[in-house]
Amino acid sequence: MSKRQVAMVMDLNKCIGCQTCTVACKTLWTRREGMEHMLWNTVNTQPGTGTPHGFESMGGGFYDGLAQPGRRPGVEDFGKAWDFNHQDVFFGGKGDISLAADGGKHGKGPNWDEDQGGGEFPNSHYFYLPRICNHCTHPACLEACPRKAITKRDEDGIVLIDEDRCRGYRFCQEACPYKKIYYNELEGVSQKCIFCFPRIDEGVTTACSRQCPGRVRFVGYLDDPEGPIWKLVTKHKVALPLHAEYGTQPNVFYVPPLSPPKIDAEGNPTDEPRIPTEYLVSLFGDGVHAALATLERERARNKRGEGSELMDLLISRKWLDMFGPFQKHPREVAQNRPIPQNQQKPRGKQVSTIQFHTKEEFKKGGRS
Amino acid sequence: MKTRRVGDVAPLLDPTDPGWSAAPVERIGMMPTPLAMQPTEYIRNSWKDRAYGATAAIEVAAVHDGSRWALRAVWNGVSPAGKDFPDALAIALPVRGEPVLVLMGAPDAPIHFLRWQANKPGAKSQLATGIGRSAPGPALDCSARAHAEGGRWQVVVSRPLGGAGDVAPLLAGATTGIGFAVWVGGNDERGGIKAFSIDWAELVLDT
Repeated sequence: MSKRQVAMVMDLNKCIGCQTCTVACKTLWTRREGMEHMLWNTVNTQPGTGTPHGFESMGGGFYDGLAQPGRRPGVEDFGKAWDFNHQDVFFGGKGDISLAADGGKHGKGPNWDEDQGGGEFPNSHYFYLPRICNHCTHPACLEACPRKAITKRDEDGIVLIDEDRCRGYRFCQEACPYKKIYYNELEGVSQKCIFCFPRIDEGVTTACSRQCPGRVRFVGYLDDPEGPIWKLVTKHKVALPLHAEYGTQPNVFYVPPLSPPKIDAEGNPTDEPRIPTEYLVSLFGDGVHAALATLERERARNKRGEGSELMDLLISRKWLDMFGPFQKHPREVAQNRPIPQNQQKPRGKQVSTIQFHTKEEFKKGGRS
Repeated sequence: MKTRRVGDVAPLLDPTDPGWSAAPVERIGMMPTPLAMQPTEYIRNSWKDRAYGATAAIEVAAVHDGSRWALRAVWNGVSPAGKDFPDALAIALPVRGEPVLVLMGAPDAPIHFLRWQANKPGAKSQLATGIGRSAPGPALDCSARAHAEGGRWQVVVSRPLGGAGDVAPLLAGATTGIGFAVWVGGNDERGGIKAFSIDWAELVLDT
C-alpha cells in the first residue's frame, strides 16, 4: 500500500457524454503508433455493454482474496476506430460509391451502444459512465505480472507500467477486472492510464478533469480532510467505487445519478426513480441507497435556502477547488520548461487532427 | 550431446540444408514448468485447469567450425497464424557458477539465453538471474532461421564460439551444460508457461 493515494470522484449527475475528457486524454497520451485503438479514458452509456464490450463478464479481480482468471480483451473488443473511404467518395470520380467504414466490414466501434440505455417508453433511461484506470489499492494487474513491470507509486498510489520491463505477456490485461489495460502490438507492451502523473508531479490536475466542461471530476488525496475527495467519499459518503466486489479497492469513485420519477400506465409520476435503484446497486453497491438519500436530503436543504456544504461542493462553485492540491495551470508549469527553439513548429502546423508518432517522436512531445 | 566440428557452418544456418543429416541427433525430453513455481498467484490460478508445456521432446543437433556454433532444433507444434503469442524456442547456457535451470539462474550464477520467436527475425540474447528476472543480454552476433513444415518447426540458432563477461562460454574442446524451453503460442504460452528440459544436458564441443 502506498503512503498516500490520489483519487478521482466523478459526479454522474453532471456528465453530458461529450467525450471532451476522452479527446483530452487521447491527444495528450495515446498518439504513438500502435496506440490507435487506445482510449485510456472512455465514456459509455449505461445500461450498456461498456468498453471493452461486455467487460463486466470478462473476469479477473479477486474473490475471497484469491486472484480470478480473466479474459484478455483484443482490439475488436475495445472497438477499433473505423477507417472511412472519404478519398474515394469525394475525389474518386465514381458516382455509385457510398461511404463505408473499414470497407463495409467494420466491427463495433468503441461507443457502439451510445445513448441506447434501458427501459421502455415512457420510462426509458440512461446515464453516462466515464472510466479510467482505477489505480487500485490492491491492483490485480500488478499482482499478476510475472515481470514486476507494474508498480504503485509510494507517494501517491498511481499505478504505472514500466515499458522497459514489460514483455507483453498480457497477464495484466486478463487480471484487471475493469479491462482498462491496452496492448500495443507495435511495441509489444501493455499500456494504460497514467493518471497524468507528469502533471500531478507539477501540481497540475489530470487532463480529463481539467478539460471537463461539465465539472464532473474531482481530484485530490483520499486522506485530505480539506480536499473534495475525502469530503465526498468519507464524510458525506455519496461517492462510491464501481464494482467494489471485484476486490481491487478502486480509487475512482462515482456519485450515483438521481433521476426523475418513473411514470405509471396512466402517465402519473410514481415514487420510484426512472433509473432503477437496483441497477445502480449492481454497479456501485448497497451504499447507493444512502448516497441517493443524502443527495435528495441535501438538495432539499439547499432549496430551502439553508445551505449545504455537499451541494456547494457538487455544484463546484469554485472550479479550482475541485482539484485539491493540483490547481496549477499547465501553462504555468510549461513556462518553466520552454520548448527548445529547434523543436518549435510554426503555429499553423501545431493545430491539427490527431497524428500518430513514433516512440522517439512522442518522447519529444510529438515533435520530430 | 556432441557438437561435431565441420569445415564451415555457413550452409548449415539453413535449417533445411541436407548437411544436417550427418550431424548426430539427440532427443531431449521436455516437461511443463511446475505450476507451483509460476511467479504469481494469478498465473497459478488461471492455468491450474489448463494444459500447457505439452511439447514432450525436441530433437537437437549441433555443429561448429572453430569460430561459429550452430544448433538445429526440431519439434512438433506449429501454431496457426493470428494468435496473440508466438511459438518460440530458447537455448540456455550457463555463464558462471552453477545455476539451476528450473530457477532461471541466480544473481551470482546467471544463465545466457538465445531466444527465437516465430513473429520476429533473428535471435535475441537475454540474461536471466532468476524467475521473472530476465533482461536484454550481452551484445552478441547471434542469428536464427526457421522453417515450418508438416506441423514441425526446424530452427537453427547460431552464435560465435568464445565467451567473456556475460556471454556464456562455448569453447572448442570444452564441455558445458545446455537447456531448452519451447512455447506453443497458439496455446497462449508465454513467460513461465512453457515446456522446458528439466535439467542441464551435457554439451561437448569437438576440438
